[in-house]
Amino acid sequence: MKVVKLINIQKSFGGVKALQGIDLVINKGEIVSIIGPSGSGKSTLLRCINHLEKIEQGGIEVFEIPIATTNDGQKTKYIPERELRKIIQRVGMVFQSFNLFPHKSVLGNIMEAQLTVKKTLPAEARQIALELLSKVGLEDKENAYPSQLSGGQKQRVAIARALAMRPEIMLFDEPTSALDPELIGEVLQVIQKLAQEHMTMIIVTHEMAFAREISNRVIFMDEGKIIEDGKPEDIFVNPVHPRIKTFIERMI
Amino acid sequence: MDSIIFYILEGANTTLRIFFVTLIFAIPLSILFAIGKIAGGKIIKGILDIYTWLLRGTPLMLQIFFVFYGIPQLTGIKLDRNLAADLAFIINYTAYFTEIFRAGILSIERGQFEASKALGLSYPQTMWRIIMPQAFKRVLPPVGNEFITLIKDTSLVMVIAIPDIMRNTKEIVSREASPETFIIAAIIYLILTYGIVFIFSKSEKKLSYYD
Repeated sequence: MKVVKLINIQKSFGGVKALQGIDLVINKGEIVSIIGPSGSGKSTLLRCINHLEKIEQGGIEVFEIPIATTNDGQKTKYIPERELRKIIQRVGMVFQSFNLFPHKSVLGNIMEAQLTVKKTLPAEARQIALELLSKVGLEDKENAYPSQLSGGQKQRVAIARALAMRPEIMLFDEPTSALDPELIGEVLQVIQKLAQEHMTMIIVTHEMAFAREISNRVIFMDEGKIIEDGKPEDIFVNPVHPRIKTFIERMI
Repeated sequence: MDSIIFYILEGANTTLRIFFVTLIFAIPLSILFAIGKIAGGKIIKGILDIYTWLLRGTPLMLQIFFVFYGIPQLTGIKLDRNLAADLAFIINYTAYFTEIFRAGILSIERGQFEASKALGLSYPQTMWRIIMPQAFKRVLPPVGNEFITLIKDTSLVMVIAIPDIMRNTKEIVSREASPETFIIAAIIYLILTYGIVFIFSKSEKKLSYYD
């Protein structure tokens, strides 16, 4: 199944073009890392997939359902909000700044959308939350509040929170960029675990070694365009484009 | 002496009635208006902007006069003076609370909205379950200030001859030439406002569980 299909999407912020005609297909089971310099449009691309950003041109299909379409010479049309929400529910997202709900306990964070969106019964939602907490190695933190956790622990709770909705794809937006170096490993380990379970994932990251190791496909972006799209060894060892070579040499 | 205190306390009934009636209507209304100002369309926003500008930009006393004397003359609808006072306070305080809640909602990080949306929460669910609880906590200090101001502002209703704490006090002072009555009134106001301070500091402590 084509989990995500982007057709010539364009997006600008106040006249600055962030995405300049992106075409991309992500298939079920793929683990795709998106790398590239800051401001190259990596995060924007990710955020367009689950409607955190609206595109201005082109089309988006998620789970082979068109959510945004553009007819010739017209404005981009999105499907109605209610239907859109049903699709977004099946897409998990992890943010650079965690965005946990500070007024809710760890358990409350993981149960929230299960209860309000999926209408799961509290006992079952709690069970799922506890299982996910042990999966991310935080079984002893169920009653803690986000403010009592380290950055790495917060991000692992955020991953558990997203997984609680049983997503069919996970989007990671620089999941380790806000972390102290010694805390990065514990988050990457959790992502690694998901990879072993063949979760479809798109990971925007600056962790080159990790991207190379975990992905079966790497995309290099620059100035709102996809410059190269290939196997990790192609990108990291024999990049076609000289710009990629310079970038990778600087990052490692 | 006892009868003086009793007479002033009778006035406290009015003070407390206006206080509670105002809050019961102004708080829910202002939450709706705050959301309207943030998420509403151009027309709703425009109307609400004019509303808060007018009501915060003119004296409450003028508004009380206007509701009690002005509206009957303009529309022919005669208002009971207590009802007129309640209405004036509700529309005035709703304007202030609207701005406080608006600021509170806007102070919540964008990431909270984004995380809610990414999880599939609808806008109302996001507001009531994620944004509002956090915004309430942040606006507690300014809301406490408004509560205290409201207690004291109720004394303005004496201008339309409603017997509140202030009017009854003044009546005793002029009748019996006993300026110490002012001190009794002051003490009653202080007890009322201290009650508010106490409740708010308790609430702030209670809501600090996630700091």
